[in-house]
Amino acid sequence: MTVLDQLLVLSALTVVVTLLAGNRSFGGWLATLMYAGQGILLWQMSGLGYAATPVVESSLSFQVLNQTLHWRFDALSWFFALITVGAGLCSSWFSSGEWGQRYRQSGGKLGLLHFALAFNVFSMLMLLASGELLSMFIGWELVSWASFLIMAIGSATATRYAMRYLTYAIAGAMAILGAMALVYSITGSFEFDAFKAAVPAMSPSMLWMLFGLFAVGFGIKMALLPFHLWQAKAYAETPGPGAAFLGAISSRMGLFALVLVLVQLVGMAQLAKMEIPYTFLSARDLLAWIAVFTIIFPTYTALQQHDARRLLAWHGVGQTGYMLLGIVIAGDLGSAGGLMHVFNYATYQAMLFLVVTAVIHRTGTSDLNKLGGLVARMPISFFLLLIGIIGLAGLPPMNGFVSKWLIYRSLIVDANPLLFVAAVIGTLGTILSVYKLIHNIFLGQLRLEHTEVEEAPWSMLLPMVLLAAVVFVTGYFPGLVLDWVSAVQGAVGLPVLAHHLGGVAMDKGGLDMIWIVSVLLAGFGIGTLVFFAGGRSKRVHQLDNYAGGHFLTAETRYQYSDNFYPGLMHLIGPWYRKSFRWIERGFVSFIDILSQAMQGIYRNTHPVLYLLAVVVIALSWVVSQ
Amino acid sequence: MSISHLILELVLMPLVAFLAGLLMVLMMRRIGARLQRRIGPPFFQPLYDILKLYGKKTQISHGMIHEMGIIMAVGGFVAATTLLPVPGMDGLADKGGIITLTYMLMIPSLGLALGVGQCANPNGSIGISRALTAMLAYDIPFVLVVFGAAYVYGTTNLAEMIAIQQHQGVSSWGITQMPLLALAGMMTLPAIMGKQPFEIYVAPAEIATGPMVEMGGKFMGGLFVMQCFQLYIASVLYATLFLGGGENWISFLVKIFLVVEIPMSIAFLFPRYRTEDVLRLMWKWPVMVGIIGLAMAMN
Repeated sequence: MTVLDQLLVLSALTVVVTLLAGNRSFGGWLATLMYAGQGILLWQMSGLGYAATPVVESSLSFQVLNQTLHWRFDALSWFFALITVGAGLCSSWFSSGEWGQRYRQSGGKLGLLHFALAFNVFSMLMLLASGELLSMFIGWELVSWASFLIMAIGSATATRYAMRYLTYAIAGAMAILGAMALVYSITGSFEFDAFKAAVPAMSPSMLWMLFGLFAVGFGIKMALLPFHLWQAKAYAETPGPGAAFLGAISSRMGLFALVLVLVQLVGMAQLAKMEIPYTFLSARDLLAWIAVFTIIFPTYTALQQHDARRLLAWHGVGQTGYMLLGIVIAGDLGSAGGLMHVFNYATYQAMLFLVVTAVIHRTGTSDLNKLGGLVARMPISFFLLLIGIIGLAGLPPMNGFVSKWLIYRSLIVDANPLLFVAAVIGTLGTILSVYKLIHNIFLGQLRLEHTEVEEAPWSMLLPMVLLAAVVFVTGYFPGLVLDWVSAVQGAVGLPVLAHHLGGVAMDKGGLDMIWIVSVLLAGFGIGTLVFFAGGRSKRVHQLDNYAGGHFLTAETRYQYSDNFYPGLMHLIGPWYRKSFRWIERGFVSFIDILSQAMQGIYRNTHPVLYLLAVVVIALSWVVSQ
Repeated sequence: MSISHLILELVLMPLVAFLAGLLMVLMMRRIGARLQRRIGPPFFQPLYDILKLYGKKTQISHGMIHEMGIIMAVGGFVAATTLLPVPGMDGLADKGGIITLTYMLMIPSLGLALGVGQCANPNGSIGISRALTAMLAYDIPFVLVVFGAAYVYGTTNLAEMIAIQQHQGVSSWGITQMPLLALAGMMTLPAIMGKQPFEIYVAPAEIATGPMVEMGGKFMGGLFVMQCFQLYIASVLYATLFLGGGENWISFLVKIFLVVEIPMSIAFLFPRYRTEDVLRLMWKWPVMVGIIGLAMAMN
């Protein structure tokens, strides 16, 4: 039994345990321990992450239709599996304590949530371990249904959006199945190597067809434009820890599959050779532009949200664009940035969702217009959210900066100013939006009904603190993650980034985060000295405030939160015309009309005549053969 | 270079920046005064102002984040100065580069925003909403300029950019290599510095609006210090990208003071723009000029 077998078995056992004991108070803790166990097993395979061992095989394999299904881990799988198990661990830990008790008491199906979480982790590990296209498809379907399960746990709204997701997911799965059938028709095999060997001999039209089908299939899971409408609401409405898990890693499975198929098997060089007629663009540029639009539109949609969870979920859609952008640039810098962003993003997105869940736990709402001033009551949560938003916005000293720096730097090397500016526009929008998030929850005036609110319990704080520590430490020493990332680059055939513990050493302008963060901390130290050189300050009550001559009372709401950026919205507001919603509705109506027309033809109008025509055509075809 | 030498540089660079920044504030106030036919403040006035603010007896704090915000604002700028080479001192130029500097400059804005946010005064929050919108406005032409410079010099290392320009004389300066980008940069400078005619978010003349509404004493003093750094960093960055940096301290100081002086003299003549007009203006003219300049520079 190899380590990978042990990992998969333990993961399956976790599913069984949560199924049997998920509703008990010890069930969640047991599952958490089992996730930790999975983490230890993963760490035993860390040779993959440091490019010491190329592959760990599983002994699980069987034959279907003369095809061998088998499972294995390489550096790419290991990297994504680490994030998956980490996200599962933190989400499970968070929901095992007071949050879970409250959730169960308020009628929530805690056991189902734990089960869905474990099932998600298991199915993702199966997908990541897939050794050829057929097992990949099985894993893909498992992941789709598992994420549907976790989405559908929540309220009626959640179920509605989960159903919507299901429609998209099935369409995506069909696209992938179609692509697999094409591959099989050419190579006669589902093996990765056979596919890879057949790519150079394929005709351009065949390559385009495969590219289109795979890109649509994986793009739907990643919520790339224009398939992004399902994700934000489906993720946001899921119970807190589930949302954290989904937000952190679930849609990254699409990216994993895309890297596996389009980068490792087809190859970026091949995509760059596929020109789109009558344009200057290649298939690779097309992906890059899709990535950039996926960054910009969802980010500015996030800016308009009034609900903290939806705001974060929309950013999740936008951040996917950075990962894809980095990967399709495909140089050593860009692809390292894109892959590293998967890890970085997972750490702070999970934490941000957990903090928001903690706020909901204490106040009962995530409506940004009904909160405010909570820093006085929940200071630790405030600092955790602050660390998270600095990461999400991609500012130093957090890890989000490093991955975005790599992407920006690669766009300069690649001489691509438009993509560069577009990526920065996304970052600026993120800064505006995350400030609104932290301001409306934690800053400003504390509401009367929240004056007795307490800090979140330690069972909820500890997993968040763990994630915050990862966000900061991997920002200070990005080399820790870049080691794994460069192993992935080597495994999928991308140029490997030369790096050191502090970042990247380059002739023409590198990055050393150890110095940057140290000097920033020293700067804060000097700022503190300068600040405390002044006289003693006196703390005053929040109502002791300038109000243009009026006296403030606790009943007066003295807060600025609704329509936070009127100047900006005045300008860009009219640009939001819900065009994508129109396209989606138009498509739905089209399918509707088509199905009605078909029904009319087959069922109601002269069915015998059509049957006769079909039989005649079929017979004449048979005779002519 | 030895570590001790580097650390000495890291200590000296913020000090130089602060002193030059104080002089820039003085110069700016004098320019404004002359244009309004006043004499203007005496030489040591900026220093007196800071000392006065820090020495005030009544220091009103609205909480820990209010204080932390000011610390972040000043500290972020102190750190940023070490990434900007000055004659004889490169500091951390080779460890960060211009992209890092661009993002480092957002930390003080975030710090100020957090500090103002805790004051629980909607007038302050409105100011921050305007300030962040203005940042979105001027950063887009600014990153065009950054990209152009990084592309033309083939490096993101500011010290190397200076070396390239100084090696070949004025003909290789950014302003002759990419004049349109230099123009776009000049148009965005007043907004980056937060000065006329783009200073509506600071609202210095109105007591009741803007981020300063709950700031007094050393909080205000911290913002004053921050302003000194803001002027210094914007001007040094411009001189580094387009004017060949400083060959020696005299030419360096002349250049950076000219960079502040020219836009300020023009800017004082304009009326103030509303926030949405700042967006419209910044996204139209400097971006247009910048894109044309970029197309020419990359050709």
